[in-house]
Amino acid sequence: MPDRFWHQTAAIARRDLDRERRSGEVAWITIPFGAIALLLVPLAVGINQDVLSRIGTGMLFVVVMLFGVLTAVRRTNMETPAQRDAIALLGVDPVAEFAGKAMASAVLLLVFEVLMGVVALTLYGLDISEWGWMTLVLPLTAIGLAELGTISGAIATSINAGPALVPLLVTPLAIPLLLGATQTVELGRDGGNLSWLLLMAAVVLSLAIVGVLTARPLQETR
Amino acid sequence: MTSRIRSHWLDVAAAVAVIVGFVFAVASPRIATQGDAARMLFVHVPSIWLAYLSFTVTFIASVAYLFTRKLHWDLIAGSSGEIGVAFTSVAVIGGMIWGKATWNVYWTWDARLTLTAIMLFVYIGYLALRRAIPDPEARARRSAVLGIVGLVQLIPVHFSVTWWRTLHQTNTFRPRDIQMDGPILAALLVSVGAFTVVYVALLRHRYELARLEVEALEGAVAVSGPVAGDAVTAPTIGSGG
Repeated sequence: MPDRFWHQTAAIARRDLDRERRSGEVAWITIPFGAIALLLVPLAVGINQDVLSRIGTGMLFVVVMLFGVLTAVRRTNMETPAQRDAIALLGVDPVAEFAGKAMASAVLLLVFEVLMGVVALTLYGLDISEWGWMTLVLPLTAIGLAELGTISGAIATSINAGPALVPLLVTPLAIPLLLGATQTVELGRDGGNLSWLLLMAAVVLSLAIVGVLTARPLQETR
Repeated sequence: MTSRIRSHWLDVAAAVAVIVGFVFAVASPRIATQGDAARMLFVHVPSIWLAYLSFTVTFIASVAYLFTRKLHWDLIAGSSGEIGVAFTSVAVIGGMIWGKATWNVYWTWDARLTLTAIMLFVYIGYLALRRAIPDPEARARRSAVLGIVGLVQLIPVHFSVTWWRTLHQTNTFRPRDIQMDGPILAALLVSVGAFTVVYVALLRHRYELARLEVEALEGAVAVSGPVAGDAVTAPTIGSGG
């Protein structure tokens, strides 16, 4: 890969992270919203600690999936038509644009997942010693969701119904990630099972290929 | 004119195929364990087959559009997607009715059922996306990407009965291990064939309708009269003096 590609990728990622740092959309809106969702679960299913520790990991990933979509398609990840035109006219490689946006989203999603994990550990009394697999599951979930969010965000850009449409597009497609994440952690308690982790890796790789192959037509989208 | 005659014969063929499929389904032997409820097989399996076929055609047409940028591929992809959603709904609802008769519940958290429902939502999203974009070119580009991504769902749906221990039976068509009586298998194959002919006829009609919609839109744009603001022109900069 030429240096120019990596330079553009890093510049796009840095720009998105800077915009997020300035606006605090994820830090001040999505993360507290996700924490409230985790707080609501015991109010809905009861405060039995055994039940909560049994369903806690699953609930964590449901919240990560649903609120992760909001992180992946945050407003600071979106450009106005004029900004998109400028990026295209500057000759930014569409693949670098996809990679940079996905990279920034993956970083934010990873932060989101870790913070939600801490909240879930605290509220549901989960056993952290069973979370060894999380070191692999969390980054894979973050990358997969970031890729899906970036592709869906580009598809739904400039559409009036876009903000409502993106969760409908992303959530069903994220199911293999949800299944892979919960099953890997679940089976990890009994010694581990690589097959679910491989499914997640395959999904992440497939989405990366789709993102790269469709980057150019999606950059043309106005 | 030739096209219309061909379409007419396709409709006749679809109608005849449905009648023949119905006769085979009714005439097939009764299954001792399930009684007449087992005849749902002749609707349920062909419906899910059509869902697979439709979404695969959507995928192929989406790829073809991105390579060629010819709008008719997008119209085929969208038309096939609509038919796919309709027949996935038939498969899910038919499966629920059959499930009530055999498992005594309409819904169970079985991998095949759940993943099929999720696949339905993926393509409902695909159709929602198409409806949200009025411009044919923009719609074609964006929905082509989703048409490609969406096919990823088909793999876990099909293999779910192999990957997980499910309540749902394993795949019906296993060429090396057919566990079905000849008359029932024959009726099932006839039903699948009949549904396929119906799919081709529906696709042709829906494609034609989509083409006319695009033509009407282009015609409306071409013949539209003056609109407010037409007379306003941008000032020429630097020409004064």
